[in-house]
Amino acid sequence: MAQIAAPRTDHATPRTALAIVGSLAMLAVILQVVEPQRFAWVQTFFIILGSLLIQALPFVLIGALASATIEVFVPMGTLERLAELPRPLQLPAAALAGVAMPICECGSVPVARRLATKGLLPSAAVTFMLAAPVVNPVVIASTFVAYRGRESMWAMVGGRFLLGMLVAVVVGWTVGAVSKDGLLKPNPEDRHAHPVQLGRPESRVRRLFLHLGSDFLFMGRYLVLGATFAALVQTFLPAPWIERVAALPVLSIVAMMVLAALMSLCSESDAFIAASFVPFGPSAQLAFLVFGPMVDLKLATLYAGTFRRGFLRTVVISAFATTLVATMWLQVVIG
Amino acid sequence: MSDALRTRTQIPVRTGETTRARWSPSRLAGAAVLAAWAVLFWWLLLTGRIDLYLSTRTQWVVPIGAVLLTLAAAGRLATARTREPEPVRRREAWLMGAVVVPVVLVMALPPAALGQFSASKRSGFASVGIATSAGDISSGELTLVDVASAQTTPEGEQALSARAGEEVDFVGFVTRYDDTPADELFLTRYVVTCCVADATIAQVRVVNVTPGAFGSNDWVEVRGTIYPIGREVIVNASEVAAVHRPDRPYLTP
Repeated sequence: MAQIAAPRTDHATPRTALAIVGSLAMLAVILQVVEPQRFAWVQTFFIILGSLLIQALPFVLIGALASATIEVFVPMGTLERLAELPRPLQLPAAALAGVAMPICECGSVPVARRLATKGLLPSAAVTFMLAAPVVNPVVIASTFVAYRGRESMWAMVGGRFLLGMLVAVVVGWTVGAVSKDGLLKPNPEDRHAHPVQLGRPESRVRRLFLHLGSDFLFMGRYLVLGATFAALVQTFLPAPWIERVAALPVLSIVAMMVLAALMSLCSESDAFIAASFVPFGPSAQLAFLVFGPMVDLKLATLYAGTFRRGFLRTVVISAFATTLVATMWLQVVIG
Repeated sequence: MSDALRTRTQIPVRTGETTRARWSPSRLAGAAVLAAWAVLFWWLLLTGRIDLYLSTRTQWVVPIGAVLLTLAAAGRLATARTREPEPVRRREAWLMGAVVVPVVLVMALPPAALGQFSASKRSGFASVGIATSAGDISSGELTLVDVASAQTTPEGEQALSARAGEEVDFVGFVTRYDDTPADELFLTRYVVTCCVADATIAQVRVVNVTPGAFGSNDWVEVRGTIYPIGREVIVNASEVAAVHRPDRPYLTP
């Protein structure tokens, strides 16, 4: 039985819009008057924040476009049929599908979210999300270029691909047989995207733009927050401190994983940074290359906004443990 | 009775045929956020300020981003008239406003590049890992990227050592540390692969400099003779002149 909606008092009004625009204008004026860039750390922070966002936002938008395309053009039930495959097959297949998604980690989150809502096994969607930024051809090619001419080149290229797949599958397995509602937080924007409609349905183009904008706005706020944390860390992190643990067998791997998470680099460029950590050795560098695209500060806020409580902890612990054990084993084998 | 009905589950129900389309505040607000970012991307392209944030390798994302953001904003606006009211909660509206804050920061602040502050944080792991072959180093004009990449491999180090005593001409900014003598400076340039977040530094020690002539972060052109000594590269300056910051302050490997 339907009931008349109670009037809401927390809705934005034209006055709210005016206040927001006024606040942004005030911020611009304050920046001009106060000149915070006089302080070197403030200037550095703003430059790094700007660069992280300018580089990442187009990828988020491409991810949102892929996500909206899946929502609008992939018929309901297609992915559910895939979900009927046995899980031991689904997870490696989902990791391998990452090869076909040449975008960095920010773009893979909205795609994974959409795959899960469209019926793909949620753990397979998580596996895809974690594998795509590590195993896609652009990332593998950049790893090849970064290590070109070194003895460890093939170990790094092959190791990144295989270890990326392995960690993604293990994390997917750890996430387990959770339902999509148990995994995903609702997107407030989706309130408007899925109305029960009695009249003529909206055209596909209208729905495409609606979903594109909704996903971008949803991811955008967490990206801004995560990039802010990452820029702060990059501004103040004295990298020479990290180098002091390079000679310690297990701690060097841990230090590189922590550094990868703090630096929040794009997976398409992180190989050039990893290659520069010569004192750390190939195993620790591999840990940096596999763990970083799966767990970092900007991703943490995206995960926290997209997935339910506990997911971030599961990813951090399982990705950390698997990467650590695998790279320790490699350290014994390849040094 | 109102046309806007809600079930107990709060799912909006449209009665379609009897409701007139009107502007959706939710979609309009989303279009405004997308448009703000689109403006930033077009502005970066038109002013050339993109050189302060991205390397030449990844600048292609800016025109792509500008076009996609413009299309997304236009599409959102074109589909912003709905029959179902779609209000925005105040908190949501302020969060959307927060997403625009970086746009204001980038556009309102004067153009600037990374300087000495960041160089001192990155110096420990800089100047290695930039892949240039030893063959590139052993011939042609020496650049700061060559100098940085020479320290990546023993072959590169040898190739650079073979060029000791040659004349070089480098442009960079002045970096001084607590223990830098008054008649020396470090000439630094950031090497950026994708964005400023992955910047490493290419750095040489310049000796024979007039004390007090140049301060930290000043951009200078150094001409002199290069002497690679192990992992340290020294330039004995014959001339050091102040220059304007280059349009592209970062080097691309």
